Amino acid sequence: MALKPSKTMYKRSLGVLAALIILGFGTGLVRLAKLQLIDGEMYRAKAESQQLGDRSIQALRGTIYDRNMRPLAQSATAWKVFIDPSNIKNEKMEKMSATEAEAALTVRRELVADGLSKILSVDKEEILKKAEKIKSGYQKIKSEVTLEEKQQVSSFIAENKLYDCIGIEPDTTRYYPFKTLASTIIGFTGMDDVGVEGLEHKYDSELTGIPGRIISAKNGAMGSMPIEYTASYEPQQGTSLVLTIDETIQSLLEKELNKVYVSSEGNAAYGLVMDVKTGAILAMSNQPDYDLNDPYTILDAEVLARINKITDPAEKNQAVSFARQAQWRNRTISDTYEPGSVFKVVTLAAGLEEGVVNEKTTYTCVGGIQVADNFIKCHKHSGHGTQTLQQGLMNSCNPFFITVGQRLGTDKFFRYFEAFGFTEPTGIDLSGEATPKAGATYHSRDNFGISQLSSCAFGQTFQVSPIQMITAIAAIANGGKLMRPYVVAKKLDGDGNVIEETQPLVRRQVVSAQTARKVIDMMEAVVSDGTGRNANVAGYHVAGKTGTSQKIGAGNGKYIASFACVAPGDDPEIAILITVDEPVGQVNGGQLAAPVAAALVEGIMNYMGIEPEYSEKESSLIEVPAPSLVNATVTAATATAKEQNLSVKVIGDGDHVVRQVPSYGQLMPNKGVIILYTDSRQEETVQVPALTGMRLSTVQKICNEYGLNLKIRGNAFTGADILSYSQDIEPDTVVKYGTVVTVSFKSYSGVSDSIYG
Amino acid sequence: MIKQFKPKHRLISMFVKFNEGNLDVTFLLIVLALLTTGLIMLFSAGYSYAYYKYHDSTHFIARQALFAFIGILVMLFISRIDFNCFRTWATVGIVISLILLLAVLVLPEYKPGFKRWIDLGPITFQPSEIAKIGIVLFFAWACEKWQQRLKHDWKLQVAFIAVAGLFSLLVFVENHLSGAILMALLSVIMLFIGGLNRWWFIVLVVVMVLGVVVLLAKPDLLKDYMGERITAWLDKDYDPTGARWQTNQSLNAIGSGGLLGQGLGESKQKHMYVSEPQNDFIFAIVCEELGFVGAAVILILFALLVWRGFVIGMSCRSRFGAAVAMGIVFQVGLQTVLNIFVVTDTMPNTGISLPFFSYGGTSLLMLLAEMGMVLSISRPSDVAKK
Repeated sequence: MALKPSKTMYKRSLGVLAALIILGFGTGLVRLAKLQLIDGEMYRAKAESQQLGDRSIQALRGTIYDRNMRPLAQSATAWKVFIDPSNIKNEKMEKMSATEAEAALTVRRELVADGLSKILSVDKEEILKKAEKIKSGYQKIKSEVTLEEKQQVSSFIAENKLYDCIGIEPDTTRYYPFKTLASTIIGFTGMDDVGVEGLEHKYDSELTGIPGRIISAKNGAMGSMPIEYTASYEPQQGTSLVLTIDETIQSLLEKELNKVYVSSEGNAAYGLVMDVKTGAILAMSNQPDYDLNDPYTILDAEVLARINKITDPAEKNQAVSFARQAQWRNRTISDTYEPGSVFKVVTLAAGLEEGVVNEKTTYTCVGGIQVADNFIKCHKHSGHGTQTLQQGLMNSCNPFFITVGQRLGTDKFFRYFEAFGFTEPTGIDLSGEATPKAGATYHSRDNFGISQLSSCAFGQTFQVSPIQMITAIAAIANGGKLMRPYVVAKKLDGDGNVIEETQPLVRRQVVSAQTARKVIDMMEAVVSDGTGRNANVAGYHVAGKTGTSQKIGAGNGKYIASFACVAPGDDPEIAILITVDEPVGQVNGGQLAAPVAAALVEGIMNYMGIEPEYSEKESSLIEVPAPSLVNATVTAATATAKEQNLSVKVIGDGDHVVRQVPSYGQLMPNKGVIILYTDSRQEETVQVPALTGMRLSTVQKICNEYGLNLKIRGNAFTGADILSYSQDIEPDTVVKYGTVVTVSFKSYSGVSDSIYG
Repeated sequence: MIKQFKPKHRLISMFVKFNEGNLDVTFLLIVLALLTTGLIMLFSAGYSYAYYKYHDSTHFIARQALFAFIGILVMLFISRIDFNCFRTWATVGIVISLILLLAVLVLPEYKPGFKRWIDLGPITFQPSEIAKIGIVLFFAWACEKWQQRLKHDWKLQVAFIAVAGLFSLLVFVENHLSGAILMALLSVIMLFIGGLNRWWFIVLVVVMVLGVVVLLAKPDLLKDYMGERITAWLDKDYDPTGARWQTNQSLNAIGSGGLLGQGLGESKQKHMYVSEPQNDFIFAIVCEELGFVGAAVILILFALLVWRGFVIGMSCRSRFGAAVAMGIVFQVGLQTVLNIFVVTDTMPNTGISLPFFSYGGTSLLMLLAEMGMVLSISRPSDVAKK
């Protein structure tokens, strides 16, 4: 019954077999080859992008320290709150019908959004929108969440059992402990800890560190896979910066600069303090500045008042934005100005170095000099008469320095102009340094004739940045070595190990040490008896130069008052440049900027522990220990005090001194007053009188009468017309007897180096 | 062992009568190779999903391994049976198949919207699985029995085609498109090798091509589910109800495999991306873990199985035996090809499992029983010696 397969069957089966193998398996294989070998990478990328949950953990941003390791900018731990939209559903919903579940889900989302928006003050609609992305497992709600907010979120989660839908993870926040201090240098961070301005911006990538990552495989339902497939990389703390800035000097500079900014009613005041031996910036500020913790708020009251007067909203917005940019701007490196007479020291150094003038060179000023077709007047119209080179500098005589420039000639002058670094950026490690442009900020060599030479010789018709000017001055104080200024001294890794240390860089020797010494000596004379006398600090030989320049193209009556100095004169450590932009009223550098420099020199020298060396005239400034007067009779005590040039103020009706202020051995101002209590009463108080606008002797007398001790600041002894101009305790303040009141003096004559003011 | 067993009763001997002679070792080895690979891959592909769903990674593999074990015993047992008994099986089988196919339509739905499964408590099975072997046996038997009449009697020819059409339609009504396609193609192949007049095939091919064209042009004609799948196949961005999710994830898995694969057990896509990775889309995970090389080797194993079945069939001295052996391996080959076409997005996602690999105990048991039948046919012909 069994029949063998027929030929037809064989043929037909073979046909089916062939079709199956070739069309079926063949096609399948070709398809696989296409998918796996040709398009494989694309599919793999797609697969990986959905499989890998990649969460980054922010690295702690590096700290910015001052030179004494005081933190100026630091990061602290904060928290980040996120939601997991895919997990807002819960198990109950799985048993519900689709519409019921959807309704329940909406209620839950509403709960999450409402709770979080209240705690974190984030827009509720925004949270709802994120909560609806059900395919997502991670939606950030807020970063830099404070501890308090975090605790509130935690209890909200616990109360409503939202463990799977709301999460909290570590984050960091940036904090600037000194608020406004060195704000234009440090800069600030914006969203997500990204540096926006200043050092925070320039060194952003280094400060940021390497964020850690948790890469975990997640399954299609947004959960973690049951298998362990997690790779985590610890975050690496960012590099920390140790600055050359000294917080003490910086705050002193800012305090003094702000005073002159306010009193001068100027646009701005800039100041720089540089270590002349290394080029390290010790302090750098421009006023007004801003609070690093709140950079978008306009801090300057005057600017704010001006903005608030604007009624048009668009115009107002623009003004606000402009004001913000202005307060963030590091003007000491980004802005340029006409250096004026301060520049004469450069002309002087070049002239001495080239031997075209020497200490014996004299010149007779007749109140002006003919240069080509112009008659350039001296600021003293009657003329300074015959002066030595040093006297020329002390008087800041323009015609004298025009002749010094002319003796050098255009070639040599220009060569020194270049050598002192006025045609190139200083290379300071900050962003935004102004780049000098030939033909724009200074005369190009091709167009440098006798007229240009003559005006440049006394610092007019060109512009420099404050950092260029102080670098040049510092070069003279540093034996002629021009340094590259810098603010970052060291870079530290996360463990505090030094990974990079900035080495001071000598750019070049611009003049010889001997020439530099001669210039410094002449600058000392400027301060001791010239236009810079208000920078005189008793005990330190300050060497400086005043400058008052007219702003080019800014209209009449727009000036810049500046003063540059180095101290101590016999072996300079620091250079200071103070500049006041567009002061109102008094415009002379010698009147405005020099006293600021004096206050700084005094403060910095004290801080640096450099001992003062007083001259005879200045001896009254030396503090003396208070004698022992307790238990003596009032008469005897008064006599003892008199012997030591001290006066007394007796309080009480007793015969014997019960108590004395200051007590025995305590240092007190020379010619000061000792308060003698003759009974057991408490310390008496007194109202501080007004002490400004007076001569030293008057101030001393009033102080003694009031039972206050006087500390003299500024220039109280050099030149004529010396009057007090400020006191550290406001008049009418109630203080204890014996309190020390610091009163600053300056000279109001012989300090003018310009025809203005 | 059971050599001596000779059924005494005539009725029993119609169903079971033992046979001696050597079975085809090559075919057995190919079957065992596929079965082993299939089990390993099922564990690898399914443990994650099993864990999520049942909190037991071995949920699938344990059941499948048990069925495989029983299946091997069944296979070896059947291989001993004289294949001539299968003629009796064929007549009974076609009736049982028809009853089951009708029953599944009236019984409660095991999975909402799908009438494919019959639930017997501990096990569930698809009547279409039984109908497939039923139709193979039936046509092999019928074509042999009415061999002469088939050439001239058009009524018989129409009747055969009607049976094929009825079975395909019944599977289609189960909401099982791929099952219906498989049933139709299998019937056509059986009739083709059975010797049906070739003109019918020209008509059938025209009808099928027209059908495909109409369905592709107007997927709306089909029920929501099937139409959606076809639209999603035509338009790769059409995904209103997640109709493409499974296919896209399958492609991601296959592509991720590259040339050499991620390594056994290393699939990521099986973690809730490829839905039910132990079922129809297991081959996607195979491709991801074993790469193009591994996938090709498995495809070649399947092709070898078909080829060896063909050789066994052609060596059989009986036309019935030949038709059964070839019908079975063609069925397996066809199902493999359709499954691979689905996972590689070469045709719409219609729901078809991969023999030896996909999870399904009864289905594996059926498959191994069929393999046993092929082995049985291999015995008297003794192909190994040729």
